[in-house]
Amino acid sequence: MVYQLQQVSVRYQDHDVLQDIYCTIEAGKWISVIGQTGAGKSTLVQVLKGLVDVRKGEYLFNNQTVAKDAKGQIQVRPEIGYVFQYPEHQLFETTVAKELAFAPKQQRWTASEIKQRIEDILPQVGLSEDILELVPFQLSGGQKRRVALASVLMMNPQVLIVDEPIAGLDPVGRTALLQYLHQWQQQENRTVILVSHHLDDVAQYSDEVLLLHQGRLIGQYDPVTLFIEQSHLLEQSGLVLPESIQLLKLIEQCSGQKIEIDSCREHDILAKILPIWHRKEQTFG
Amino acid sequence: MLTFNQVHFYYKKGHSIIEDMSFTVHPGEFVAIVGANGCGKSTIAKLMNGLALPKQGTVKWNALDTSNQSELADIRRQIGYIFQNPEDQLITTTVRDEVLFGLENIAVPRTEMDQRVLEALQAVQMESYIDAEPHQLSGGQKQRVAIAAILAMRPHMIIFDEATSMLDPQGREQVLHIMHTLHQQGITIVHISHHMDEVLTAERVLLIDQGRLIFDGSPHSFFTDIAVADYQLQVPFAVRIHHQLQLAAPVATDWKEAIRRQWSINSNR
Amino acid sequence: MAKPVLIGQYVETHSIVHRLDPRTKLISLLLLMLSFVWLHTGISYLLASVLVIIIVGITRIPVVIFGRGLIPLLLILGFTFVYNVLFTEGTVIGSWGWIQITIEGLENGIRFVWRIILLVILAAILTLTTKPLTLAYGLEKLMSPLRKLNMPIEQFSLMIVIAIRFIPTILEELERILLAQKARGYDITTLRLPQRVLAYIPILVPLLFTIVQRAEHLSDAIDARAYGNGKGRTSYRQLQWQAIDYIVISISIICALGLLLLNIMNI
Repeated sequence: MVYQLQQVSVRYQDHDVLQDIYCTIEAGKWISVIGQTGAGKSTLVQVLKGLVDVRKGEYLFNNQTVAKDAKGQIQVRPEIGYVFQYPEHQLFETTVAKELAFAPKQQRWTASEIKQRIEDILPQVGLSEDILELVPFQLSGGQKRRVALASVLMMNPQVLIVDEPIAGLDPVGRTALLQYLHQWQQQENRTVILVSHHLDDVAQYSDEVLLLHQGRLIGQYDPVTLFIEQSHLLEQSGLVLPESIQLLKLIEQCSGQKIEIDSCREHDILAKILPIWHRKEQTFG
Repeated sequence: MLTFNQVHFYYKKGHSIIEDMSFTVHPGEFVAIVGANGCGKSTIAKLMNGLALPKQGTVKWNALDTSNQSELADIRRQIGYIFQNPEDQLITTTVRDEVLFGLENIAVPRTEMDQRVLEALQAVQMESYIDAEPHQLSGGQKQRVAIAAILAMRPHMIIFDEATSMLDPQGREQVLHIMHTLHQQGITIVHISHHMDEVLTAERVLLIDQGRLIFDGSPHSFFTDIAVADYQLQVPFAVRIHHQLQLAAPVATDWKEAIRRQWSINSNR
Repeated sequence: MAKPVLIGQYVETHSIVHRLDPRTKLISLLLLMLSFVWLHTGISYLLASVLVIIIVGITRIPVVIFGRGLIPLLLILGFTFVYNVLFTEGTVIGSWGWIQITIEGLENGIRFVWRIILLVILAAILTLTTKPLTLAYGLEKLMSPLRKLNMPIEQFSLMIVIAIRFIPTILEELERILLAQKARGYDITTLRLPQRVLAYIPILVPLLFTIVQRAEHLSDAIDARAYGNGKGRTSYRQLQWQAIDYIVISISIICALGLLLLNIMNI
C-alpha cells in the first residue's frame, strides 16, 4: 500500500500553505511529520486523508490517481483513520456505545458487526465494558480521549494519522498513549503517521521523518540521518534537537571521537555513551 | 505572604479534594506545585485567589482573608492568575483593550492607563501587537498578552496554572523566560505544572497527592528523596542523566555544563 | 483555519459617520428604523430610500459590502415576497389553479422586501462604522439611567463585548468539528434538506459543549482580574457630545417625523 503526493500545492485564502510537496508513504511504518507551528504539518496529513483540496499536483494511491467525487473534491479515504488534536471535542452522542458506533454506521455496518468490533476494541484502548452506557461528557479527560481514539479505531484503519495526540496530556498519559500506539502499530502491522512537536517522541518511535518548513517539504529522512548528520536542517527550521541527541553530540565533542549509533532511542544512545563515560571516570577515578 | 491554614475543600461532602493543607508562600519565592492528574493542585491555585473558597480553614494573603467578600478585590489586584487555556482568558477584542480591562476594574485613573498598558506590553515584548486581535495571535503570544494584562495591575504574586501545557515548544520557552524575569524582579511566582524539567528551576517544590501535601523542599531533595514515578510523575532528562552518569554536581537543568566540567576534571587528573 | 469575514464588521474609511459619538448613531438610527416600520406610501418609500442612499454615500463604504450583507437574507426576502404575493386578498390579476396573484399582493410583497432591505442597511451602517467596544460602551452610557432600576448595565455591556470577541473563535471551532466528523465519514454537505436539521446534532452538540466550557473558563478569568460586579470601574474610552452630534440627531428627528407625517396623512 503506497500513498504518493506529487507536486502537491494547497492554497488557503491568498497564500500557499503547502508548496510542491513530493512524498511517498509506505505501509507498515511509523512516520513522523515535524516542523514549526504553521509549517503545514496538519494540512499535509489532511491532504492524505482527503479532507483538503489540492490546488495543483497529484495524489496517487498504489500508482493510480485518487478519485474525485461529484463535486471534484478528493474522496475522503475511509481506510485512513484521523485523530485530531483534542479529539474529545468531537464527541456528541448520549452513550459511549453510540459514539463508537457512529463511524461504522456511516459505512453501513450491521449491528452485530459493530457490537463485535466494540468488544475487540475496548480492551485494546484500556477501557472496560462498563463505560459503554455512560455519557461521554461525564468521563474524565483521559477517558474521553481514549473513547475518541477508539471511535476512530473502530473502522480498523490501515493507516492511522494522529495529529498532536498528546496535546495537553500530562507526561504519564503521554507515554501511555504513545506506547499504546506503538504496540498497535507493531501488532497489527499498520502505518502510523504522527504529527508532533515533541522531537524526543519522534526520535523514539519513528521509522521515517518528514521535515516541513514554511509549507515546503525539506526532506524525508530516517531518524539517524536527520538528527545526527543533518541536524543543522532542524535548527534552520526553528526546531530544537531532542535532549538525548544533544547529549550524544556533547560527549562526541568532549571525547573528540565520533560515536556510531543505529537508532535514536534514548535507551540505545545511553548504551553507547555510558561505556565511554565510565571509561573516562575509571581511568582517572 | 500567602498562608494556607488547615484548609479543607470538597464539592460534595465525603469526596475530599483538599485535606488539611497548611503552608506558606513567602514574598519573592519561586514555588512549583506538582502532582498527578486530579491530585488537587489546580484547586489549590484557585483557593489562592478566592476562585474557590475553603470549606474549613483559611487562606490569607497578608492580613486579607479570601473568605471575606469585601477583601477579594484587593486580593485579586495583588495576586494575578494565568490560566491554562490561552484562548479562554482573553476577554476583549484587541490587545490594548485586554490590558486595559484589569486597569478599569481596579479603577486606575484614566491618565495613568496609556503608560501602564505600554509598560506591561513591553515587559512581555508584545508592544508592537497593541492593536492586534486575539485570533491573529499564536498560543504563546496570547499567553504573553494575558501576562501583560495581569502585570499592568502591578501584582505582588502571579499564579501560573499549567500555563505552558497547551503551548508549542516556542511558546513554552517564551512564557518560562518571562516567568523567570518576573521572579528576578521580585514578583512571587507559583508555578503549577506537569513538566518536570520546569520544576528544576524552581526554588521550592510542593508535591500534592490526593489532596494532601506530601513534600515541601528544594528541587534537589525532591528528585533525590522522592520516587516520583510513584506519584505518576516523569523524571526529567536532566535528572535521568544525572543518575546514569553519576554526576558530581547537584541536579540542575544545566546538565551540559555539569558534564563538561566533570569531563575536564577527569581529563586534568 | 477560518479567517472569519463577519457581515457588518467594522470597516475604516474615516468618514464623518465614523467619527460620530456612538450614542448619536444609536439614537439616530433607532429613530429612523422606527419610522421606517410605518412606511406605507410610495413617496415615503422613495424619500426613505434616498435618505439611506445619502447616508451610505457619506460613509464612503463600498456598496459591495452592503450587498454581501444582504446575501444571507435572500432566502427570507424571497419567502416574504412570495408569501405576500400569494396570500393577500384583493384584485386578482392572474391565477393558476388555487394560486391567486393580486395587485395588493404584489404591492405588499414589494413593500415588505424593500422595508427589510432598508432596515438591514441601516443596521449595517451602525456596525460597519462603529468599533464593537465603542458601540458597547455607547450602549452602556445610554442605558445608564436604567441603573436606578437595579439593572446590571455594566454586565450587559461586557456580555456584548465577549459575544463579539468570540464569534471568530466559535466559527473556527465549528470548522474543526465539521472536519472531525467528516473524517469519521460524516459529511453534512451531502445530505438532503429534510435530513439536514437533525443532521446538525453531531455538529452542534460538541460545539455547545465547548462553548459552555469556555464560558466557565472566561468566568474565572473575569473574576481573577478583579471585575467584581462591574461597578466602580473607570473607563479608558471617553465619549463627548460635539456640535455635529446634536446636528445629526436633530436631522434624524426631523426626517423620522417627516416620514411618519407623510404616512399618517397618506401622501
